[in-house]
Amino acid sequence: MARRYDSRTTIFSPEGRLFQVEYAMEAISHAGTVLAVLSKEGIAMAAEKKVTGKLLDLSLAPGGEGMGGEGTEAWMGGGGEKIFLLNNNILAGLAGITSDANSLVNFARNSAQRHLFTYDEDIPVEMLVQRLCDMKQGYTQFGGLRPFGVALLYMGWDPIYGFQLYQSDPSGNYSGWKATCIGSNHSSATSLLKQDYKEELTLEEAKSLCLKVMSKTMDSTKLSSEKLEFATMTLHPTSKQPLSKIYKPSELDGLLRDLELGGTEEDAVGAMEGTGGGGGGNVAIST
Amino acid sequence: MNSVLTQIQPPAPHSRLEEQDEFEHTDAAAWGSMAGFGNLSRTGGIAGMSVPRVADPTAFLDMHTDNMSSNPEAKIKIAHGTTTLAFKFQGGVIVAVDSRATAGSYVASGTVKKVIEINKFLLGTMAGGAADCQYWETYLGMQCRLYELRNKERISVAAASKILSNIVYQYKGMGLSMGTMVCGWDKTGPQIFYVDDDGQRLKGNLFSVGSGSTFAYGVLDQGYRWDLTDEEAQELGRRSIIAAGHRDAYSGNTCNLYHVKENGWDFIGNYDVNELWYEYEAKKKADRETATAAAAAPSPMAVEP
Amino acid sequence: MECSFGLTGKDYVLLCSDMSAGRSIIRMKSDENKIKTLGPHLAMAYGGEPGDTNNFAEYVERNMRLYHIRNHYPLLPEPASAWIRRTLAESIRSRHPYSVNLLLAGYDTTTTKPHLYWIDYLGTKAVVPYAAHGMGVYVSLSTMDKWWFNDMNKREGVEVLKKCVDEVKKRITINFNFNCILIDKDGIHHINIESEDPISEYEAAQPKDTVVEAPNPPLDVGVTA
Repeated sequence: MARRYDSRTTIFSPEGRLFQVEYAMEAISHAGTVLAVLSKEGIAMAAEKKVTGKLLDLSLAPGGEGMGGEGTEAWMGGGGEKIFLLNNNILAGLAGITSDANSLVNFARNSAQRHLFTYDEDIPVEMLVQRLCDMKQGYTQFGGLRPFGVALLYMGWDPIYGFQLYQSDPSGNYSGWKATCIGSNHSSATSLLKQDYKEELTLEEAKSLCLKVMSKTMDSTKLSSEKLEFATMTLHPTSKQPLSKIYKPSELDGLLRDLELGGTEEDAVGAMEGTGGGGGGNVAIST
Repeated sequence: MNSVLTQIQPPAPHSRLEEQDEFEHTDAAAWGSMAGFGNLSRTGGIAGMSVPRVADPTAFLDMHTDNMSSNPEAKIKIAHGTTTLAFKFQGGVIVAVDSRATAGSYVASGTVKKVIEINKFLLGTMAGGAADCQYWETYLGMQCRLYELRNKERISVAAASKILSNIVYQYKGMGLSMGTMVCGWDKTGPQIFYVDDDGQRLKGNLFSVGSGSTFAYGVLDQGYRWDLTDEEAQELGRRSIIAAGHRDAYSGNTCNLYHVKENGWDFIGNYDVNELWYEYEAKKKADRETATAAAAAPSPMAVEP
Repeated sequence: MECSFGLTGKDYVLLCSDMSAGRSIIRMKSDENKIKTLGPHLAMAYGGEPGDTNNFAEYVERNMRLYHIRNHYPLLPEPASAWIRRTLAESIRSRHPYSVNLLLAGYDTTTTKPHLYWIDYLGTKAVVPYAAHGMGVYVSLSTMDKWWFNDMNKREGVEVLKKCVDEVKKRITINFNFNCILIDKDGIHHINIESEDPISEYEAAQPKDTVVEAPNPPLDVGVTA
């Protein structure tokens, strides 16, 4: 009789569960994997793109060739579908319903700008995470609404705590991590990260760990920019201010070739024949 | 009491910067409980009196009242002219006031009670607009009683004076005319707080307020010590009011004297300013005469053998 | 009729304010504290319209405290100054503007740098190495222009401040008592600016005797026990 307690988010089941919230979390575990690794020198994040296909026209979408960038220009790369620049000092990787994610990204960017307006400083990372989570929590409580079907990884830097990595889920819970993963196969990816993570990683090692785990959790053995987004959060070598970078497809392919994880023409062609895209029912809206 | 409360409305432009924090407010109120503060209204739990129904009541009242004589042409004259004083000493608090009420150069009354007995432990003095002081200090008495009933504990002088200063600050610039001292004895001992219509609130040992305050200060400051005896302190308070009543045209008639001790206040007495003044003069003269006589009298040491 | 000044040194900032309070020409108090601590490394000296001053200072104090409680760390001087400036800038455009001028002094624990901000009731903010409000402007700004230099140690800073206090006492007809604090990595401490050698006195004293936790101790706020 679980159905009796499904329709409204605000009602607990007799076992004390909120089914709608649990379903929302379920939607996320079908979404493209996002994983990130924290190091002393910065943070690396990789995300698996699900919406691909020969007929998809990406010529105007951000993330296409010639796109991607650094610092304040990082937004040029962040509109692929998985990784977004929320503020100068914060990047987020999203897994779940794309349209919900867009709305959350917009909310986050507004919150960050409002903080800048009143305090004349970049919003501290955890504060932005809290802002979003307060909002997400609200949608698990008030009648007639549906929770956001989105989980996020946030990577950022602020002067108080330095580099930070957070994860949040549709219930509005959030937590800080050294390395973590959301989306499909997140449990196997997390155990791989647990195995290979070492304190005192360099940024290069973090990047490589990120992509290696990604290559093991994704279906295809060879990776390419066609099915991946990649970003880093570091400090500018001279100004010591946060520097976000979303990799251009060519840069990512270069990195993949260096790590011998793919990045060649053939890998890209193979990816183009993926089954994702409009035909996949639920997959179309879940990335 | 309810009917009185329903008549008085909170002022239209209430606490400042409320708009500024609107985002945070709605957040907390919509998603949190009232956290036990349900008995306070959103504006700070203070019911108020009505203000003129015009776009800017502050400017309107400023134009039509003569608060502190800044606008002598105004139609609404507010009574000024008073001497009040209060000071702390080893034996508690002395509160002394005069009893003259004036309207311009006219002495409207010579028997005004300028000490308002808020409760057994709290006194408020009255300077500036008589009605403003009387109304708000009576209202303060109500709030203090409610505080006792709610908290099963007497209100501190600090808290009571803060209630008053919060009220008058809400009406800042609308023509309230008050200079008051909230005096009493609480768990921390004797206390005096000065509260005025600017919204200023000062804690101190010794204050004097009103047009005659400068004259009162002149006697008070010179005679003040912490270790005054009760009699000396009462005499100092009385003498200071007499001094002001003599020099300040807007103060005088009689002096009312109170002494606040650990178990509440005592009314010491009512003294005629003129009579006392001439008594003091006579005594001063007599003292001088004895002193001169003593000086003129041949000293035993000076006597040659 | 009030007077305050502040100056930054190598790894500290000094703030000094007079202590008089009254109405028109009458001084009713000469020991009123007009410096408010806003956090472990942040304080402001304020002045202006009576009533507004305290109300605004308490409003700022409580908002800074709220930020500290919500985020587990206090607002740093730079964002705090931005918030205060914005609050005043919005206030001046409201129906009841606050008429409050202030000097905000703080020590940034993340960069270990001292900060001093000059802010007025119009919502003007200036980042300055030394500054004054009120009567102090007329006589002590030139004093600081002449004697202040970069990266002064504590003794040198206090010497400059003493010159300012001295000059005010010499040239301004009003008699002021002064209250002074020093903010450095260890927090906020009281300095007896009227003494011969305040720094030796300060260094000899136990930290607990000079530390300023709340300049207006909440003793008189609620009575319990």
